[in-house]
Amino acid sequence: MFNTKQTLLASAVAMAATGTAFAMSGSGDGSANGEKIDGKYAANYAEIIKENNGEYLDPKVIEAILGEDATYGRTGLMAKLDPANPYSFEVDDSIDGGNHGNAQCKVPAAFTEVHEEAAKNYTNDADFKAYGFGKPIAEEATKVWNITVDGDGNNLPDPSVGMTVEEGGELYVQFCGMCHGDFGEGAKGYLPLAVDGNLVTSDFDDSSPMKTVGNYWPYAVTLFDYIRRTMPFWTPNMPAIGDAGYMGMTGYIMQSNYIPVGFDDDGNPIELDYDTVYNSELLMKQNKYMKNQGNFFCDHRPVIHNERCMSDCPDYMVGDGKGNIQNFEQARLLPDGTPQYNVPERMHEDPPGVGHAGM
Amino acid sequence: MTDKIVEKVAVQTDESRDQGRRAFLKGSAAVAGGVLFTKAASAAEGGQYDPKKAVSTYAGKEEMTEVLQDGAARKSLGFGVRKYPYGMPSPYEKEVQRRTLEWLTPDAMASITMTPLQSLHGIITPNGLHFERFHGGVPTIDPAEHRLVIHGLVERPLIFTMDDLKRFPSVSRIHFAECPANGAMEWKGVQLDSVQWTHGMMSCVEWTGVRLSDLLKEAGIKPEAKWLIPEGADAAALTRSIPMDIAMDDCIIAYAQNGEALRREQGYPIRLVVPGCEANMWVKYLRRIQVHDVPAQHREETSKYTELMPDGTAQRFSWYMEANSVITYPSPDFKMQGPGKYFVRGLAWSGRGKVKHVDVSFDGGRNWKEAHFTSAVLDKAWTRFEVEWDWDGSEAFMMSRVTDETGYVQPPMPQMRELEGTNNVYHRTAMVTWRVHPWEDGKNGGMIENVQY
Repeated sequence: MFNTKQTLLASAVAMAATGTAFAMSGSGDGSANGEKIDGKYAANYAEIIKENNGEYLDPKVIEAILGEDATYGRTGLMAKLDPANPYSFEVDDSIDGGNHGNAQCKVPAAFTEVHEEAAKNYTNDADFKAYGFGKPIAEEATKVWNITVDGDGNNLPDPSVGMTVEEGGELYVQFCGMCHGDFGEGAKGYLPLAVDGNLVTSDFDDSSPMKTVGNYWPYAVTLFDYIRRTMPFWTPNMPAIGDAGYMGMTGYIMQSNYIPVGFDDDGNPIELDYDTVYNSELLMKQNKYMKNQGNFFCDHRPVIHNERCMSDCPDYMVGDGKGNIQNFEQARLLPDGTPQYNVPERMHEDPPGVGHAGM
Repeated sequence: MTDKIVEKVAVQTDESRDQGRRAFLKGSAAVAGGVLFTKAASAAEGGQYDPKKAVSTYAGKEEMTEVLQDGAARKSLGFGVRKYPYGMPSPYEKEVQRRTLEWLTPDAMASITMTPLQSLHGIITPNGLHFERFHGGVPTIDPAEHRLVIHGLVERPLIFTMDDLKRFPSVSRIHFAECPANGAMEWKGVQLDSVQWTHGMMSCVEWTGVRLSDLLKEAGIKPEAKWLIPEGADAAALTRSIPMDIAMDDCIIAYAQNGEALRREQGYPIRLVVPGCEANMWVKYLRRIQVHDVPAQHREETSKYTELMPDGTAQRFSWYMEANSVITYPSPDFKMQGPGKYFVRGLAWSGRGKVKHVDVSFDGGRNWKEAHFTSAVLDKAWTRFEVEWDWDGSEAFMMSRVTDETGYVQPPMPQMRELEGTNNVYHRTAMVTWRVHPWEDGKNGGMIENVQY
């Protein structure tokens, strides 16, 4: 996995041992900044990019900055997760495993044109003075609109607001069950909320994993925020449900997904009881125990850096990736040989979707 | 029939090539490497136009002798002004529509339609054909009632009416908007038989509005502000977290598309435009921007719009749309008309800047021919390419491959699938392949088939 600093350090060491190629001209002695990353990245990356006409995703430029072995595929990805790497989207505290708090990502330093433009439009705009076309508004006046809760739990209701998991379950059955199933199993093609499934697929033909609150969502607070602002689908943020009701429903869904509220001395999960009053304190506790929270990492694309080959290109770029252009997949064929498309979905053998249920 | 079509194609090509040249001469240096003006080159050698030589292509072809008669349009008056106060396409164009796949979503309010790319020309999508993606249906908002609030980590929280917003300096920029799920159905293999289905979750229009950086500066954004949480005024109340660098780069709060007010389907009366980034970030019906120090980690950036990898990990905050390209003519909606010359054309775009090169292969990726551009080459916008092809009638595997100004080269599908598996859903930006069936005296009907490696 890619979520612990330990793994990263190990990979960084391994990478350093293989040496670094600085193929570009003018990169000085090619020395790296040497602080966090142990001689691996070129400190003068901005210069290298500028000298190469801003082509920061050109394989040669990436090699000159990251070193040859850090450029490609999964290996390259490991290196990119290091926040100090100019191509990394990660920020310093975003890649710790476990309770990662509010994990952030950033625009990589190597995307120099984005940063230059932002500086021009913002930080370096010393002369800017407001046009005065708007009207001042008190922060207090936004309170009906401003009910978003962030990943840190800011803006959650007071802990005095809540109801038992059982009461929440009754509301859930009344307002949510017809589309999401009474136990979160999904219905009518709408998203299931509590189907436990493995996210790892080993085989091409494995069916797509169902992503639900328990096995996929990294934040519990997001669930409360989302359902309070947008559900029920036909009349969002329903006063009849209210903050207490949304809190109770959240508790019911958390329980349906077997998210623990803590662990006992033997390390066994403590489950949420039906008669527990669910409130923002419990929600913040459970926010730490979301099963999949350590498995997200910042976007690292692109990880493929091909040369622009024009003729007699190597096999891995051709046809099936082994040079065979006749080895192609077609749509499923009808008995007469005509291609037919999306048969399982049209016959309702498969749920709607594009490899996951619903959009 | 065949001749007519080919002739029409040729004429269009000359015109559009001239346009491309004008755009080039205006100083778009990025195009320089990619354009080939074969005709201009031969004129410079001093040759003269020879009408006999020019029409020799038609030698031996059967001549039509039946006298042309006037049609109904010539013999009666047409309709008068204001028949359609808001103009409509010809009824003969009625098949050119946004379309959806009913099996994709359980209802029409949280659904998507695709733009008929196979029927579009140039780089502008007409407003009525702009793809649609809703999470909670389309509201009809009175602009007189609509307000935009900027609050949070600002010195002076502000509220704006539509009139206020239009008083600010404006910008007009042509940018593509692409759903990151564009092409999602094709991760596991080929499924669909039209470029409308494989690439139609995107459109490209001219957006007019206010620079987001101007409005943020207007409110006195504080140094600790690192993220924006824009929110819509519709049932979906869609939120995404936008990092300050992207917000200050080139974002627009748009009130117009292609010269008229936004369509309701595109966010009337205002929407956020985040050029080059996932269209999910382009929050529609924008009513509030919360300036914040941390990302919101909301549903649309955690549960959805994150990319599941084969090992069970997932990528989040996948902002930029990779460079991508597709051949729109010929494509599976068309039939080959027999061996001969074709002007293969299509669209290329990059979320990271301008398109630099487009190359087309007819042999499944072994050899490539550089295409030229028939449109202006703009930042984070569709670019129309074209390449001449002499088809000998044998089976061909057509692919297009874009290189953008950052030096990124669009990869083939097997490479992307090897790294990202088949359950990613989003950002399927590798090449697609159109298999041109062998002509064999028309036996195969000129079929062009979407296949996948």
